[in-house]
Amino acid sequence: MSAVALSRPARVLRIEIRRSVVPWSVPLILALFFFDSYRTAAGFPPNWTVHASAITNNLAWDFAPFAAGLGAWVASREGRRNTGDLLATTARPAWARQAAALGATLFWLLLTFLAAVAALYIQVALQATWGGPPLWPVVVGAVQVVTLAVLGFTAGALFPGRFTAPLAAIGAFLLVFIGFHAALNLTPDSSTNALLSPATGLPLEDVGVFYHVAPDVAIAQVMFMGGITVALLGVLVVAPVFRVRGGLSGAVGRAGRPLCAAGVVLLAAGVAASWTAFALTGTAKLGVSGWDIPALHDAASDQPIPYTPDCAGTAFPVCVHPAFSGDLPAAAAALQPVAAELKGLPGAPVRAEEVPAAGEGVSGTPPVYHYDGNNGIAPFLGSPAGADNARWRAGFQQELLTEFIAGPPNAGPRPDASVLPPTAAQQAVITALMTVAGSQAQFGEDMTNGHPTAGATPAQIDAAAQRFASLSTAARHAWLAAHLPALRVGEITLAQLP
Amino acid sequence: MNIELSDITRKFGRNTAVDRVTLEAGPGVLGLLGPNGAGKTSLLRMLATILPPSSGQLTLLGRDPGNPADRREIRRRLGYLPQNLGYYPSFTVVEFVEYFALLKEMPPHLVTKAVAAAVEKVDLGSKAKAKLRTLSGGMLRRVGIAQAIVNEPELLLFDEPTAGLDPEQRVAFRALMRDFGQTATVVVSTHLVEDVGAACSEVALMSNGKIVFRGTPAELTVRGETGQGVGDAPLERGYSAILAAARA
Repeated sequence: MSAVALSRPARVLRIEIRRSVVPWSVPLILALFFFDSYRTAAGFPPNWTVHASAITNNLAWDFAPFAAGLGAWVASREGRRNTGDLLATTARPAWARQAAALGATLFWLLLTFLAAVAALYIQVALQATWGGPPLWPVVVGAVQVVTLAVLGFTAGALFPGRFTAPLAAIGAFLLVFIGFHAALNLTPDSSTNALLSPATGLPLEDVGVFYHVAPDVAIAQVMFMGGITVALLGVLVVAPVFRVRGGLSGAVGRAGRPLCAAGVVLLAAGVAASWTAFALTGTAKLGVSGWDIPALHDAASDQPIPYTPDCAGTAFPVCVHPAFSGDLPAAAAALQPVAAELKGLPGAPVRAEEVPAAGEGVSGTPPVYHYDGNNGIAPFLGSPAGADNARWRAGFQQELLTEFIAGPPNAGPRPDASVLPPTAAQQAVITALMTVAGSQAQFGEDMTNGHPTAGATPAQIDAAAQRFASLSTAARHAWLAAHLPALRVGEITLAQLP
Repeated sequence: MNIELSDITRKFGRNTAVDRVTLEAGPGVLGLLGPNGAGKTSLLRMLATILPPSSGQLTLLGRDPGNPADRREIRRRLGYLPQNLGYYPSFTVVEFVEYFALLKEMPPHLVTKAVAAAVEKVDLGSKAKAKLRTLSGGMLRRVGIAQAIVNEPELLLFDEPTAGLDPEQRVAFRALMRDFGQTATVVVSTHLVEDVGAACSEVALMSNGKIVFRGTPAELTVRGETGQGVGDAPLERGYSAILAAARA
């Protein structure tokens, strides 16, 4: 393309950018962003992937009505302002003129969107101790903004009335709502086509930490929304043909066959891309770090991300993934007192280490307590300011003691489903050890009344726990050393506790 | 000839707006007169390549506007001022005129100078950077004229161009039309016969979609003197005499 041909569209675009209506809406969009996305993300743990989820979960709500509404408003300008006749006498084709108006709208919307993303990422950068900004959520969010703007623009171009813009805004809001609802109801057993919705819900706290988040779903989402966008652009190109009277062939001849052919090709390509994305998400399966789409999946992304843990303490080192090193002092302060009560017992863990989800338990030689960032200690890792710290501390300690006393000894990492509820005696011992460590155990009613407790009441368990806690450290230790195997397999009753 | 119409008809449903009109026009100013609903605006919109004719042969600037490539070339060399000028209130005068210069595919390196010249010609130099929403109706009309002439068109179409202009501006505009008529074909659709008398070298009078008179303003005046026309001015009497004859 010659320099002359390049500079003409650029100058039209410059005028459109300068006189776009979008900047008038930017303060409102940014206010919504601050009160919704920014403040919500401020409560997230300092994990890049979790923070990035605010882009597709929250920013989408903030931008969707504006993107579609402003797109429709700009596109309906020629109809509202009665410039149709005047513009129809100009040499530039309608699609080129509309492209400039759409380009200016997208310029401001994307600039605002990227500014919002930058604010979110600066927010996490100031807290995060590991990792870097994920780019796929930004791409997905940007494509979503573009798609909704083009959707609104197409509506405005086809129906250039005053009510098109508000209707487009409401429609976009409903679309995001439906997508969000579908994504939140997604289970491994349901139709995985809901993955086409960019919304994800709040991800697990250690997502993207131990394993890369595979871009499979993001690629399918971009393909789906990009396909819709391309198809809508095709509709915009061929739409003038259907406004000309005198039969389709006459209309095509007047509009120009190459232009009509280009519009039809765009429409077909867009539909094909969206349909392909729809089919791809139907094959999605849960992988190590989320949903994988076999046709798009790169097995290399399933490899763990190497890291060096951050550890605290010497008698009982407590280690966390460097992404959570900010939580290390609190983690060590929670686990070390109860670990001291177990020290020297057969199979007692000598250190604690954070591992990916579904890998927790006491295992290895020497034994190590493996915990994850999501089960048992979820309220602990990345707990938002104001959380009940005593409660998560107790939960974290109870998790360790339950794993050691009620879990199968040295069975190695195992899924949560295999953890048996503690028996009455096990509950009493756990409660006693936590009391000594300054915390309060909590067991669900179903466990107390179920088979493992053999009909013991909470009061009886509490009484036994108080009895055991009142023993001297040496006496408790000696009793546990002698009876731990029997206690673990559930052969000790409440009455047998000292 | 810049305009060649042969048996041009334009229908809207059952209504025939332009009925088998044949017309040729070269450089000069052609006034298009006629009562409301005579078909002037429809004819002008066909000349502006907005409407295709329902039947007949239309050639503009030696090209067929039914052919997309030809139509694009015609539009590069066309200026048009519609009866109701639509505009974007947030644009400045210069931006609006530049926008149309670019859409008319003027060479970009000529645009800035051409815009400034067009704005000066309509005497809006002092308002060049004013937003359109701040201008009066007459000023907006002049902005419309500026966008029509910015590309130095060979075919210039004005629909009621002087509506809203003050007398001084009207006189200036007539001079502008005469200037353009030296090299280009200017077609002016108007109700104001004094515009025709002052600026047009030729007149076409339309009634019920047909051209019922074609001649010079002097010839129209003569018809007023010999016919049964009514009106204060000779041209008005000629106008009404021809219409009366056509209706009869």
